[in-house]
Amino acid sequence: MIDFARVQKELQECSRDVEGSGIRVSPKSDNLSCLIGTIPGPLGTPYEGGVFQIDITLPDGYPFEPPKMQFATKVWHPNISSQSGAICLDILKDQWSPALTLKTALLSVQALLSAPQPDDPQDAVVAQQYNRDYQTFVGTARYWTETFAMRSALGVEEKVQKLVEMGFPEALVKSTLEAVGGDENLALERLCS
Amino acid sequence: MEIDKMENRKDVGREGGEEELSDSFVCCVCLDLIYKPIVLSCGHISCFWCVHKSMDALRESHCPICRHPYYHFPTICQMLHFLLLKMYPVAYKRRELQTLEEEKKSGFYSPQLKADACGTQAKFLYPGSSSSCSIITADSNSCPTSSFSNGKESSAHPEQSGPASHKNDEDTIYSEHTSGATTVSVGTLSPPVEGKSFPQSEQHGQQKISVADLMCAACKQLLFNPVGLNCGHVYCEACILTSTDEMLRCQVCHSPHPRGYPKVCLELDHFLEEKFPEEYARQRDTVQLRQIKVKPESASSCLLVTGSEGENQVGWWSDPQSKVHIGVGCDFCGMFPIIGDRYRCKDCKEKIGFDLCGDCHSSRSKLPGRFNQQHTSEHQFELVETNIIRNIMMRLVTGQLEDGSTVPLENLELISEENPLFDDGEDDQHGAGATDQNL
Repeated sequence: MIDFARVQKELQECSRDVEGSGIRVSPKSDNLSCLIGTIPGPLGTPYEGGVFQIDITLPDGYPFEPPKMQFATKVWHPNISSQSGAICLDILKDQWSPALTLKTALLSVQALLSAPQPDDPQDAVVAQQYNRDYQTFVGTARYWTETFAMRSALGVEEKVQKLVEMGFPEALVKSTLEAVGGDENLALERLCS
Repeated sequence: MEIDKMENRKDVGREGGEEELSDSFVCCVCLDLIYKPIVLSCGHISCFWCVHKSMDALRESHCPICRHPYYHFPTICQMLHFLLLKMYPVAYKRRELQTLEEEKKSGFYSPQLKADACGTQAKFLYPGSSSSCSIITADSNSCPTSSFSNGKESSAHPEQSGPASHKNDEDTIYSEHTSGATTVSVGTLSPPVEGKSFPQSEQHGQQKISVADLMCAACKQLLFNPVGLNCGHVYCEACILTSTDEMLRCQVCHSPHPRGYPKVCLELDHFLEEKFPEEYARQRDTVQLRQIKVKPESASSCLLVTGSEGENQVGWWSDPQSKVHIGVGCDFCGMFPIIGDRYRCKDCKEKIGFDLCGDCHSSRSKLPGRFNQQHTSEHQFELVETNIIRNIMMRLVTGQLEDGSTVPLENLELISEENPLFDDGEDDQHGAGATDQNL
């Protein structure tokens, strides 16, 4: 049985600190067991400037079992599968503690982006490239960030811009866009209703 | 820095009229006000159920915050329980109802605490049925915090009042101190609430916490560098130090405290310093004056296990024959899971059952159960064998058994003959349904 009261509190706490951490967590639907997390790529890494979305599924035992997290945005990183987005991180497995939260777990994922562990790889191809040809690795990671992690972010900005120009307040536009999952037509419909 | 923390209160309560909670008393697991607090030996505080659910049914457990390893489920700290009840009556009541709701769903109950003659010493109650669960029951007009002079209340099971860890002469000492204690008001009290929703509100609205609510069980002074023992009693760190190598025992209830010395509960220490700066400073000076000469080195590693298993307990998972009772804990010392002999009470009817480890069984402990079981000394015990096959399977699955081939085959066959897998109803109860609940 998921402790939904706790999940609610986590979401509140997280939204209070969006400015500071840049980390967002929002429910995918009314059901709080499926969420989507967003982390900005850490500065000074090939992931800088990208915005990465992470699918979060809460198991029944949450918070006594770790949340299942998987990158929805494609990313080139030794500890993240370039195919499935699976993350190799100890705190999401046996090192999970119920005192950790979705926010702290996402912060750890963000830290993983800036500190790859090629000796404990999830994606062997990426890890091999990281070890043998670091420059190419950086180039590929940068290319993937620009291709997959920036387009969607830019897209959101453009959508916001468009809707703000129609005369809606920016904060409302952003929250509505988020609520409908980024679909500008749905957002417009909701804003008009 | 701790002052900053105290002032940076956040409103955790959802309902109107609820007190603002200090960060010190927000549980790291449920992120709500701590309910039925347990102090782990590393000094971190959490709720009864949050600690229990965080524990590992198969092996050593770890503190959610610092990962400090522990094997023994501690008892609720009654001093903190009544302190929180006094400080946050509305929020604590909400937590009580919420927890009770969950307990009814699961069928597992936490111990009922009721104030005794002195505010911080309470005894276990035995409600006639599991449905009558309330901190402030109808007959306890001696509100837990309102009176220090009250006598013993009637108990649903009078013959049970004996084992309560509490001596009469302590009452007198206690009340003497109470009268002299300084009273400091707490800024977080709620405005009075309607009588119906909270009958004690008028009294509670006026409640102030005093030094008497936060006294060391040994020196009867304000706690300084508080540590919580496994039995739930709280002492100053300086008051429990002994130079002997013996296992640490509670001076009040004589329960052993496993695995060396507990660490200072820093949250509580900061709180004390914040609330009672003068007394705290005085205590600090006193302690520094009589500075203990020998501070024992990280203490003995007593594990509360007798018999042959006691020797190689540290590496029990590498020994396929060691007796681990998965998901079953000792109701006296709190060892979870029980390693070695396990005795199950044949007469306790509660879903959770009543079990003792070999050591506690031989010491004939009469302590009530940790889950509100109505266990009495007349109850009979039976020795329960571990389900070795399931043990091995579990450990294989969880990767604990490095080399499956070391399992002696003849042993397996022997066990399966005398203990067929599918006939024992009692083990199913602990196995399938209650693995992570039963202790």
